[in-house]
Amino acid sequence: MSVTSIPGAVEVVAAFFDAYRHQDVECMVELCTDNADLHYVPFELWGRQRVIRGDGKVRTIGKVIWTTLIDSFPDITNEIIYITSDDQGNVASEVMISGIQAKPFGMMGSQGLHFALPHVFLFRVSQEGLIEEVTAYWDSAAWQRQLGWLEVD
Amino acid sequence: MNSLDIPRTFFTRMDARDANGVLALVTPHAQVTLVPLNLQGDAEDVGRRYFEQLASAFPDLSVRVRRLFVGNDNTAVAEITIAGTQAADFFGIINQEKLMDLDQVWFLHMNDGIIDRIKAYWCQNRLYRRLGVKRLDHVTITG
Repeated sequence: MSVTSIPGAVEVVAAFFDAYRHQDVECMVELCTDNADLHYVPFELWGRQRVIRGDGKVRTIGKVIWTTLIDSFPDITNEIIYITSDDQGNVASEVMISGIQAKPFGMMGSQGLHFALPHVFLFRVSQEGLIEEVTAYWDSAAWQRQLGWLEVD
Repeated sequence: MNSLDIPRTFFTRMDARDANGVLALVTPHAQVTLVPLNLQGDAEDVGRRYFEQLASAFPDLSVRVRRLFVGNDNTAVAEITIAGTQAADFFGIINQEKLMDLDQVWFLHMNDGIIDRIKAYWCQNRLYRRLGVKRLDHVTITG
C-alpha cells in the first residue's frame, strides 16, 4: 500500500470494504460525504416500467444497490487484490467480490449458484478523509455466465 | 518527461489506431491482461492482437480519456471511452455494422520510462449489447 498526503485515503477505502464485507451498509455510507457520487458503470437493472442505472448518489442509488445485493447474495464478501493511490485523494483498487445467489437480482433469477468476479473500484477521498466519489467496473457477461443467465438483455 | 505523458501518449496512439506506436511504449514481454476477454500474455502477442483487431474492426475508432492519475507505485490508472462503428469481426463478434461506445479502465505500470505491465477492465456484456449479440452462449450467432 502507498502513503498519501490525504490522511488515510487508502485506509478509508479499506474501511469501506471492511464494512461491505460485514454487510454494514450504514457504515459504508457514513464513510462517504453527504453528497458523494456513485458510478456503477456496467449497472443496468431492467424493470417492467423503467431501467435503473448505476449513476447517482451514494446515499440514494448506492444504498439501494448495496442493500439489494446483500439481500440477493446473503454471504456476499470481498477481498482487496490490489490498491494504489496518489497524493490528490485518488485511490484505485482491484477487488474480488463473491457470493452465492439466494434470491433473484434484477432479471437474474436465482439458481443458487456461486460467483467470484473481479471488480475495479476508483475513489476520490476528500481532505477530510471522506469518500467523495465511488466508481466501479466489472464484466456483467462473466457475472451472468457464473449465475446461469445467458441472455444479453 | 512527466509521468502522465506516457499514458497520455499511449491513448493518443490508440485513438490514432497506431498499434505499432502503442506497442513502442511497452516492453515486448510486458504482461497484458484483458480481463473481459480472458486473455493474458505478452504485449507482442496479446497486446498486438487486441490493438490491431480494435483498429481494423473499428476504422472510425475514437478513444477519449475521461480521468487519469498515477499512483505512488508508478501505475497509471485511466478511465477511457472507446467508440466506433464495427466494420469487421472483433474477437468472435460478427460484424453487424453497429455503433458501439464502451467505458473502460486501464492500469499501466511504468518502469524507467516504459510500460511493463497492462491490465484492462470493461463490461463485455455492454459491448455485446451494443454490437447486437443476443446470447452469451452464442456470441458468434446473430439475430
